[in-house]
Amino acid sequence: MRRIIIRRLAQIIPLIFAVIVMNFVLIHLAPGSLFDVMTSEQQITDPKMLDQLRHTYGVDQPVSVQLAKYIWSVMRLDLGYSYRQNAPVFDVIVQQLPATLILMLAAIGIALLVGVTAGVLASIKVNTIWDNLISLGAVFFFAAPSFWLGIMMTVMFAVKLGWFPVGGMRTIGVDETAVGAVLNVMHHLVLPATALGLFYAATFARVMRASMLEVARLDFVRTARAKGLSGGRVVMAHVMRNAMLPIVTLLGLQLGTMLGGSVVIEAVFSWPGIGSLLFDSVMSRNFPMVLGVLVLGSLLVAVCNATVDLLYLRLDPRIKAR
Amino acid sequence: MSGFTRRDFLMTTAGAVLASGFAGSSSAVASAPKRGGTLVGTWGGFEPQSLFVPAGGGSSPYFTSTKVFERLLRLTVDLKFEPVLALDIKPAEDFRSYTIKLRPNVTWHDGKPLTADDLVFNAMEYWKPISAGVTLDALEGAEAVDPLTVVLKFKVPVPEFFLKSVLAGKAGLVIPKHIYAGSNIITNPVNNTPIGTGPFKVKEWVRGSHVEFVRHDAYWNAGMPYVDKLVIRWWRDPASRSAAFEAGQLDIGTFNPIPAPDIARLIGTKKFIAETKGYSNSAWITSVEFNQRREIFKKREVRQALMHAIDRSFISDTIFFGRAHPSIGAIPSSNSIFFTKDVQDYPFDVKKAAKLLDAAGYPVKSGSRFKMSLVSAGWFEENVKIGQYLKQAFEDVDITVELAIPDRATSLKRIYSDYEYDVAVSNNSGSIELIPQTTQYYTTDGIVKGAAFRNATGYSNPKMDEIVGKMAVETDEKKRVSLVHEFDKLAAIDAPILPMVDLEPVTIARSDVRDHSLTADFMGESWAEVWLDR
Repeated sequence: MRRIIIRRLAQIIPLIFAVIVMNFVLIHLAPGSLFDVMTSEQQITDPKMLDQLRHTYGVDQPVSVQLAKYIWSVMRLDLGYSYRQNAPVFDVIVQQLPATLILMLAAIGIALLVGVTAGVLASIKVNTIWDNLISLGAVFFFAAPSFWLGIMMTVMFAVKLGWFPVGGMRTIGVDETAVGAVLNVMHHLVLPATALGLFYAATFARVMRASMLEVARLDFVRTARAKGLSGGRVVMAHVMRNAMLPIVTLLGLQLGTMLGGSVVIEAVFSWPGIGSLLFDSVMSRNFPMVLGVLVLGSLLVAVCNATVDLLYLRLDPRIKAR
Repeated sequence: MSGFTRRDFLMTTAGAVLASGFAGSSSAVASAPKRGGTLVGTWGGFEPQSLFVPAGGGSSPYFTSTKVFERLLRLTVDLKFEPVLALDIKPAEDFRSYTIKLRPNVTWHDGKPLTADDLVFNAMEYWKPISAGVTLDALEGAEAVDPLTVVLKFKVPVPEFFLKSVLAGKAGLVIPKHIYAGSNIITNPVNNTPIGTGPFKVKEWVRGSHVEFVRHDAYWNAGMPYVDKLVIRWWRDPASRSAAFEAGQLDIGTFNPIPAPDIARLIGTKKFIAETKGYSNSAWITSVEFNQRREIFKKREVRQALMHAIDRSFISDTIFFGRAHPSIGAIPSSNSIFFTKDVQDYPFDVKKAAKLLDAAGYPVKSGSRFKMSLVSAGWFEENVKIGQYLKQAFEDVDITVELAIPDRATSLKRIYSDYEYDVAVSNNSGSIELIPQTTQYYTTDGIVKGAAFRNATGYSNPKMDEIVGKMAVETDEKKRVSLVHEFDKLAAIDAPILPMVDLEPVTIARSDVRDHSLTADFMGESWAEVWLDR
C-alpha cells in the first residue's frame, strides 16, 4: 500500500511540471496578453507608465525567463502574485477552492447514490417498465445541458415553489451559529449539487446496470444462490461489490471533468467557486492565476486518483497480489 | 430630443402594462424616506478583479469603489453639477487656476478628517499620473491655501465644464493620503478593502459571490445613507438574475441585468420597474471603425457608402430588442448639452451605397467589388449578431466579407494593438464632456499603438485637430458648444469611425426601491439617497 502511495506521489511531480509548461505555452500562444487587457481596462496610454507596468508585471523579460522564474517559484511552493486581483494567487484560490470542493463532493455523493441505486434497480428489474424508465431518465439527464437543468430547477424549486434559494452559498447578512451556518450552506447546496450530480448519475446508472448484469451471470453468483443465500444478500454482497469496479474507475476519471463541469453550474447558481475565477483568468490571460488554479487542480485530481487506487485494493484484494 | 425616455421604452416593450410600470417610479413619489433595511444590488456584468482599481479597470470596480469613495461633485440627471466633497469650485478670471473649497467635518472611515492635504495628494499623485492621465496634462500644481481650500494651477486656460466633468467623473475619486502616501497606489493591497469618505464601509468581500457594505455612521450627510446594509452580488448568468428578482432576493440591477425578453414579463408582475434614466454621463455606443491604413477604406466615399449600407434600425430593433436607437453623428443623443441633429446622416439605402462604391472606383467585377476583413469585438453578446448582420449587409452591396468575432483579449489586440482589420465593430462609453474620451477617436494625438479605445483607424485631419485643440481651451460655454458642433459635422462627413447605435441601458428595480437613478451616472454614485419603502 505504501509503495503505491509513494509511487503515485512521485508521479505527481512530472505531471505538475507538464501542466505548467503546457499551459504556459498555450496561454502565451493565445492572442492578447494580461498586459493588453489590464492596460486597456485601465485606459493607460502614457508610454512611461506602460514601461513601468511592464516591469512590475515582469513581462519585459523573455518568455523563457518568465517560465523558468515561475517554475522556480512553484518549487518553493509560491504560486506568484496576481496583479489583476491585487493579491497573492494562493490567497485568492484558497478563498474560492473550498466552495468548489464542497460542490464537487456533494455532486459526487449524489451521482453515486442516485446512479448506483438506479443501476442496481434497473439490473434487478431488467426489461421491465422500471428498467425502461431508468434508462429513459439516464438518457435525459445525460443529454440535458447542465446549465439548462440548473435554470429549470431554479425556476421550479426556487422561484415557483420557493423551497430553495436561487443562488449563492449562504444567506447574506445574517449572523448565525456554526450549526446554523452548516445547515444554511447545505440548503444552498441542494440545487447546484443535484444539477451537477445528475449528469454523472446518468453515466453511473448506465455503467452500473451493464456491470451488474454481467457479474450476475458469473459462476460464483450461481454458487452463492445454490448455497441458499437470500436474493438481497446475493445482490448486495456478491454482485454489487464486484460490479462496483468499473464505477470506481469511472469515478477516478470523472473527478477531473467534474472540476471543469462545475464552471457552468457555478455560473448558473453564482456559487463562489473556482470555476468563474478560472474562466475570468483565461479571458483576461491572467496566466499566474490560470496556472495556479491548474496546478492546484491537477494536485487535487492526482490525490483523488490515488485515493481511487487505494479503493481498488479495498474492493478487489486480487489487485494487491499482482 | 432628450433621448429615449422610459415612457418610450415601456411603449415599445411592455405596451399594455405601461400604466403599472409607473406605480413605483423613482422620482414621482414624494413621501419621506424611510431608514433601515438591506439593499441588494447587482449589475449586468461580473465580479470586479479588485474592489477598487485606481486606474479605472472598467465598470465593475467602478460600481463597487464608488460606494466607498466620493468625488468633489456629482452630475444630476438634468446635467447640473451638485456639491459632494467640495462646497464650491471657482475658476480665476483667466481660467488658469481654480479654487476648491472643501466641505468641513468630513471623515474617512477610519476616523481621520478629510483635509486640503488629501486633495493636493489626489491631484498630483493620483489623478494626474494615474486615473485621469492626459486629461489633466495641463495641471501644473496644487496648493493647500488653508486646511479646507486648495488651488489647482494649469498651464493653459481650462474650461469650467471640462474641469468639473473630470472632477465629477470616473477619474475624480478622492482617496486618503494617509493610507496611500509612499506606496504604489496601483498595487496597494488596501484596494481590496478600500477606505473612503463615502456612505458605505466595506465589511466583507466573499470572492465569487458578493461584497457586503455597512452604513458609515459618521457620514457627513447626517441621516444618510438610508439603508443599513448594501450588498452587491454578482451573477454570471442573466437568467439567474431574473430568477433572483422574482424570488425576492435582488432589489435593483443596473446596466441591463436581465435578458431583454424578461423585462416585459417582470414589469408585468407590477412588482418591478424598468428605468432608462441615469446613464447619460456614461453613454454607451456601438460603433463601426474603418482602418485608414488600408487603401480602400482611406477613401471617404467608401466609408460613406458602407454607412449607407447598414440598416441601423434593424440593429436597434431586432438585435437590441429596442434597447438602442440609431445614432446621429458622433455624439449620443442623450448628451443634451452637445448633441446636434445638424450633421450628415446616413439613411439605409443600398442603391445609393452601390452608386457611391461604383463612383469610388470599385465596380462589381466577377461578383465582388473587393474583399474586407470584418472584426466584431466579442465582448458583448450583441456584437456577435451585429458582426453577422454586417457581413450580410456588406455582401448585399457585393463586397466579400471575412468575418471574425474574437474574444475580448484577442479583439483588443487586433483592433487597438495590431490594427489588423479593415472594418471593426467596437464599443465605448463616453461622458457628457467629449474631451478626451470621444475626441481621442478622431484626433491625431489619439493614435497610440497598443492603447485601447482611442484612434485605431489612423485617421488624421489637421482641421479636426485644430477644432479639438480649440475646444480644449475655449472657456466661453456657448462658443464651446458651437465648436463641438463643428467637430461633430466634420466627424460625420469624414466618418473614420461612427456610432451605429446609441445603447439604452436599463435599470431594473423592485417598485419599493425609491430615489434611485437621480444622477447622470447612477451606477457610479454612492447610493446614499436610495431607500426602501417597506
